Amino acid sequence: MRGVRFVFAGYLLVIVLGIVYVSALGLMGR
Amino acid sequence: MSAASSKEYGFLRANALSLAFGAVFVVTLGGQAISGTADFNAQQKANGLEPVSLLEYVTSSSFGVDVMENWQSEYLQFFLYIFATVWLVQRGSSESKKPGEEGTESDKEQKIGRHADEDSPKWAKTGDWRTVIFSRSLGLLMGALFLLTWVASSLVGWAAFNSEQLAERQDPVSWLGYLGEADFWNRSFQNWQSEMLAVGSMAVFSVYLRQRGSPESKPVGVAHAETGQTG
Repeated sequence: MRGVRFVFAGYLLVIVLGIVYVSALGLMGR
Repeated sequence: MSAASSKEYGFLRANALSLAFGAVFVVTLGGQAISGTADFNAQQKANGLEPVSLLEYVTSSSFGVDVMENWQSEYLQFFLYIFATVWLVQRGSSESKKPGEEGTESDKEQKIGRHADEDSPKWAKTGDWRTVIFSRSLGLLMGALFLLTWVASSLVGWAAFNSEQLAERQDPVSWLGYLGEADFWNRSFQNWQSEMLAVGSMAVFSVYLRQRGSPESKPVGVAHAETGQTG
């Protein structure tokens, strides 16, 4: 199950980074 | 044939479903970036403006809003589906619980607190506030992701809206002002409607149709009237 944790964390990281990145684009008014 | 233990399966095969969709996500996001740049530049040309590079496009609010407005609707869909399927049934659907099983079920059925198994997750065994949270963690995460992606789409949609306003020599609006703009609600509703149609049709199509070997389907020979994941 150890490997599954990496996939779980990977998906969550991609989603959170996507949200942060796109929010930053909006806040910077790009 | 018994199910293979995790030792017989390497990392790739054990995570094939998640990894395959993750890979296709990256490829399709790349496709969106390339086709989005071409579409954006066609409009730039029509307006007599300079074309933008791929890098400029993927760091623009125009790209950001197209990505995030779709993300938010997907998480809304899963959030609503996870909660709705606790309380609502569809007779004959592989996606539904059996009629009569509506609700959050007993502690015994859910194997929590003193009904937990030896290998139950730790937060299922405690029976205190941790079990309360863990019992709703999937829905809570989907709900939180919906709210966060929706806020992100409003921020980036606001920036994209204002750059269009400026290009048309019109006044920019505040973020709160954008939340009242038709553009924001049009982007939200056009994504939401498609998710609701897809989920509703999937629930009822699985009553009469089968996909051999798929856990999203009932086994091929199971009666149409049989509700729930029987195989």
